[in-house]
Amino acid sequence: MRLDLLTLSLALLTGCATAPRLQMQRPANTFPADGLITQRGVLTALGRQYTLNGYLASSATRGQRLVITENFGGVLADVLLLPDGSVHVMRSSRILKPKWIERYVAADLRCLFGVASGSDCPGTMLGPNHFLIERGWYKLDLQIVETKPGPPSADLFNPDPARKP
Amino acid sequence: MKIFSIITTLLLALLAHGGDPAPGLTPVADPKPILAELQQKMSSLTSVYLEFTQERQLKLFSEPLKSDGVMLIDRPGQIRWETTSPYQSILLGSQKSVAQFEFADGKWKKLKLGFPQMLKRVMDQMTLMHQGKLDALTSDFSISVSTGAVTVVTMVPKDENVRSLLAALEIQLYSDLSATREVVMREPGGDLTRIIFNREKRGVKFPEQTFDQTKPLDLAAIKAVVANAP
Repeated sequence: MRLDLLTLSLALLTGCATAPRLQMQRPANTFPADGLITQRGVLTALGRQYTLNGYLASSATRGQRLVITENFGGVLADVLLLPDGSVHVMRSSRILKPKWIERYVAADLRCLFGVASGSDCPGTMLGPNHFLIERGWYKLDLQIVETKPGPPSADLFNPDPARKP
Repeated sequence: MKIFSIITTLLLALLAHGGDPAPGLTPVADPKPILAELQQKMSSLTSVYLEFTQERQLKLFSEPLKSDGVMLIDRPGQIRWETTSPYQSILLGSQKSVAQFEFADGKWKKLKLGFPQMLKRVMDQMTLMHQGKLDALTSDFSISVSTGAVTVVTMVPKDENVRSLLAALEIQLYSDLSATREVVMREPGGDLTRIIFNREKRGVKFPEQTFDQTKPLDLAAIKAVVANAP
């Protein structure tokens, strides 16, 4: 397990020098601007695969909050993206370090659920609810498994929970 | 990932069904007799089929995040943990190896697992538990028991690092210890995972390929056998 973690770490740390890839063409308004979107993902890094669950609270005006867990519910990452573009890592783990969350999880979140796909969205749309992001050193195969429209709680989008918005 | 190991171990050990401890429970001064009785009941078990609902309660979200599935255990040391909704995934373990399958685009795909050693360790612990060797738990947990309308076994990790992930694990059983109703895994920040067992069938002779790590039998076929089992 230590070796796996090490190799995964090396892959994540060294993977930024990758050739540009085909950018994903995702139609606008694929997902509700306000709602809770549940995802199931398979992350492939260095030939090994890891399953992840994602719970995304999305607000058209307040931003996006994504919680990633492993199979049995343990939180691996919790990240908040505000409309001004700032990224706030609310929670990290041994598996997903703050720097990786800030750099890669946030980028994938923007790519898949941002207002527009943007220019940093290397991958393919495999189906209306199925996406593949390929950054060369990792692949994320992501399916949307449940969508619940409706405005999320404003508290979710407060980067400093100790202070009321 | 250690939390995964602990959770799975305890699920298997205690054949959980899950909720908050019911009110009116009285702490037991000496939990050993109850744990011994539980161990005795577990040791006679050859196989079990369980249907569950898993509720992940994060303080962030107003509603719990739910998933459904089944857990199958058979001697010697075979386990199948299958999530059926909102996504489909199968985790299989034996004394020798582990495997995971994900369902996508109409077919099952076998994964090249990361952290296989960790999963193997889970399987080893599982085997111990399935043999009723609860003493393996006391080295890792402080165990207390409360009784009343139900029996609640509360387990607090002794290891500080584990406790930073898992504050306590509560197993709620019927008062006669015949089956577990619910398991709650409490985290330090107040989040929790609750696994509620809706249906249990013991002593089932599972069909071949139920635990096959190359091409596991479809769950519908297993359910048909379970439905017709005595």
